Amino acid sequence: MAAFIERAAENGGEVLYLAGAWRLQNVPAIAEALRALSLPAGAGFVVDGARLESLDTAAAFTLLRHLAGLGCRPSMVSARGFGVPQERLLSLVRERMAAPPARGRSTHLGLVQGVGAAALHLATLLRSHIAFVGTVAVEILALARRPRLFRPRETASQFEAACLDAIPIVALVNFLIGVVLAYVLGMQAQRYGANLFVADGIALAVCRELSPILGSVLVAGRSGAAFTAQIGTMKVEEEIDAISTLGLSPVQVLVIPRLAALVLGLPLLVFVGDIAGIAGGMLVSAWQLDVAPEVFLDRVHGVLEMRHFVIGLGKAPVFAVFIALIACRMGMAVARDARSVGQNTTSTVVQCIVWVIVLDAAFAVLFQHMGL
Amino acid sequence: MHDGVSFALRRGEVAALIGGSGSGKSVLLKEIVGLQRPSAGRIELFGADVWRSSPRELNALRRRFGVLFQDGALFSSLTVAENVAVPFRENTDLPMNVISPMVGLKVALVGLPADAAAKLPAQLSGGMRKRAALARALALEPEILFLDEPTTGLDPVGAREFDRLVRVLADGLGLTVFVVTHDVDLLLSIADRAIALGGGKVIADGPVAVLREAPDPWLRDYFAAARA
Repeated sequence: MAAFIERAAENGGEVLYLAGAWRLQNVPAIAEALRALSLPAGAGFVVDGARLESLDTAAAFTLLRHLAGLGCRPSMVSARGFGVPQERLLSLVRERMAAPPARGRSTHLGLVQGVGAAALHLATLLRSHIAFVGTVAVEILALARRPRLFRPRETASQFEAACLDAIPIVALVNFLIGVVLAYVLGMQAQRYGANLFVADGIALAVCRELSPILGSVLVAGRSGAAFTAQIGTMKVEEEIDAISTLGLSPVQVLVIPRLAALVLGLPLLVFVGDIAGIAGGMLVSAWQLDVAPEVFLDRVHGVLEMRHFVIGLGKAPVFAVFIALIACRMGMAVARDARSVGQNTTSTVVQCIVWVIVLDAAFAVLFQHMGL
Repeated sequence: MHDGVSFALRRGEVAALIGGSGSGKSVLLKEIVGLQRPSAGRIELFGADVWRSSPRELNALRRRFGVLFQDGALFSSLTVAENVAVPFRENTDLPMNVISPMVGLKVALVGLPADAAAKLPAQLSGGMRKRAALARALALEPEILFLDEPTTGLDPVGAREFDRLVRVLADGLGLTVFVVTHDVDLLLSIADRAIALGGGKVIADGPVAVLREAPDPWLRDYFAAARA
């Protein structure tokens, strides 16, 4: 490779002859060549560019920075033999590089700082959730006074997207869980010749716990994420501000229809899940455990008291309120950039699933104490 | 959308593509930089046909030009300095201790204060975001700079400052600049040449002073708006 720089003494002064392609891809080699010259500090130089093939800002910057590092003031460096464009480039770089080099990386917090920041974040999040619940409650009261404010069309379209469109996936997941449960319970029950008791286990587990939980988790992932992304994107596009300036309430237009759709829709999905789960268990029982479908269903009728079914169904609207409020709230809390939409959507799904399971555990304890 | 549009850019000129809304300026720009395939015709950059190049050749071409998108298109999760460092990190083998000062130079070249480098794009004003995006576009020493509506959304003072910056950089770095715009003031202050699109055709192409006197009714209205 050609030498990028040569040093010569002429007329008692140091002359640096630049040669070759002074371009970005050669910057490491150029820097190496500059260091290898071990130029004296504090001396003046003449820089000759007559042999240059090309010069770009990166290479010019490397040279000027090296000379500045040696303590050369701009007045001590004179240029000769450069083309007019190259002279302009050199003077532009020299003029602008006076500013201190940019530092700036995304900040990474230490462990203690991280824990502290997360705790503060959680506290503000909870506080703003509570404030949001209050706002929505006030709007619901307003709705009760003036039912005309209700938006049936918006609610219907949300109901379709959040509930009707989710029926196949909810049915499939619950059916498969019924199948898995039947296998697991069947393996144990078969040893004691208690095949029929599989029906008890499946009917209770599916109706009371699994269908509400699975339905809620699926809805949190499907509709909760969609709510946050929709509302968040509207926030970014300033559509929510537009709604307000048109004299409408964003809560009435965006939140209450979604809340109503989920409160109505989730129990329906849980019901679908109950049927699918029992059907899955019934199929495996007939196939692997020699329990005929009519025997299985008869047993389910016998053991599945109404209260189990109602408890399962009754938890659904509570879960729905949490999912809808968290999702809408996180959508409204989006900042005006693309990254924020993604972060809040992720956060929605995580918060919804955690809350559903926390609530379910609370219900389990409560019902146990009430003897249900 | 376009019908018989043809023009060639000369090295080192600042050319502006003007035309009313919906005349296909932005589409043409996307076709030139290899983002949207034209239904017919040829686009050559540095003598290579953009749409007949292999992906590898196209990427080699792309390293020789920079694009400034309308809203800057900075990566919102990265700071300004990290944004400017992206092209260096992805396209060169330079070590970080070479890249960092280079990033500092680019940030200074576009006239951003040094403390802007540590900020996220969301923390900057519109004009500063455009400057930061320009720094990123200039990172790999492009020979051509494509600008899409660079002054849209800037206040008049900020817009004129941005014009001056583009002109200084074009002269200082020997850049060829191709700017898509509907800003008359930008045209009058920095463009050497204007190409006017209308009805899918080039309705005028030449020095700005010549276009000002052109008989075309749309151009007359366009320049009349500037005199008002």
